[in-house]
Amino acid sequence: MKISIGDVVLPGDYCEEISQVAEKSKVIIGPGLRKEVDRVYITKPGVLKKRNPGTFWVDSYQKRYVPSRGENVIGVVVQKAGDIFRVEIGGSITAALSYLSFEGATKKNRPEVQVGDVVYAKMLVASKDMEPELVCVDSHGKKGRLGVLSDGFVFKCSLNLIRKILNPNCPLLETLKNEWPFEVAAGMNGRIWIKANSMRETIAVGNAILGAEYLNDEEIRSMCNNIAAILAGHVS
Amino acid sequence: MASRKKPQLPKSVLDMKFMKKTKDRIEKEIENTQDIEGLYSNVITNEMRHASGNYISESSFVYCEDLLEGRLSFKGMNPEIERLMALEYKKDDDDTSEIKKDVSDDILSKKMESLKKRKWSSSPSECIIKKKKNK
Repeated sequence: MKISIGDVVLPGDYCEEISQVAEKSKVIIGPGLRKEVDRVYITKPGVLKKRNPGTFWVDSYQKRYVPSRGENVIGVVVQKAGDIFRVEIGGSITAALSYLSFEGATKKNRPEVQVGDVVYAKMLVASKDMEPELVCVDSHGKKGRLGVLSDGFVFKCSLNLIRKILNPNCPLLETLKNEWPFEVAAGMNGRIWIKANSMRETIAVGNAILGAEYLNDEEIRSMCNNIAAILAGHVS
Repeated sequence: MASRKKPQLPKSVLDMKFMKKTKDRIEKEIENTQDIEGLYSNVITNEMRHASGNYISESSFVYCEDLLEGRLSFKGMNPEIERLMALEYKKDDDDTSEIKKDVSDDILSKKMESLKKRKWSSSPSECIIKKKKNK
């Protein structure tokens, strides 16, 4: 069926608007879209979205993580195998993380990573036919925001929720950030790690994030203010 | 493509006696490449050859939706992360202010001053322009 931007789409539908834009300029076709010889076809059910200039994707509900290059993910180290760590990231197979891809690591100076540690890493290689590969450094060899996550609390959620809270327009973190100190790491594989000073505060952050899944911006704001008020009342 | 660009020996040289081995080799190479083209000619369509590169496929949502970095810290929980966040925020700020101002304030004021001076000095030319307009 022929569809346009903003419609609910199903696999097999096609969009002529994308082809029209592509005649004049470059277009980026994101997840859920596939260029065939004659048309651009939809491959996932969801809502067709567009961002100017010329970026298209299908916003679909998904819980299964499919690794893709350049994404930051949260994984659990499950095995040390010689030169690499095997990291469970929720994909079809475990990802490989070389012990040399940590800041300041050399063959003699191995990083201190144990089985069971939670790591925040960037997907370096994500191919259909190969084991995904992670790194904990950027191209300059600096660790930046990546590395082992110590303490804190990890929970799982849908991939949509991660995208929702990391959207620059989402009021969730904007409202919570002035309330109490906390740290959060959101992996594109549907895992969130949070850390706060007390258990009560940690649970409050976790509940706020999980509660935001089906709320609109206004409701998120009032929910966050509610949680903050309850927390402040109990603490003082 | 690379084989086509390779310098080829002229036929007269290849016909010489001592070049027999090379001649055989070159003939074999040509035969091989022709075979490969023939082998896939029914699979590779013209459309595949002329498929334009206007489509860039991107498998990640991060670049489509322009999402934030996933690691954040607030109110001094992790000073190291907050330093990085501040740096990034500052960089974004600089970018926008640079876009707004093509010409910096200093340069603009100097330029305006010089323009004013020129107006004082070039009053006769102004008269000429006025005259022209009258015509």
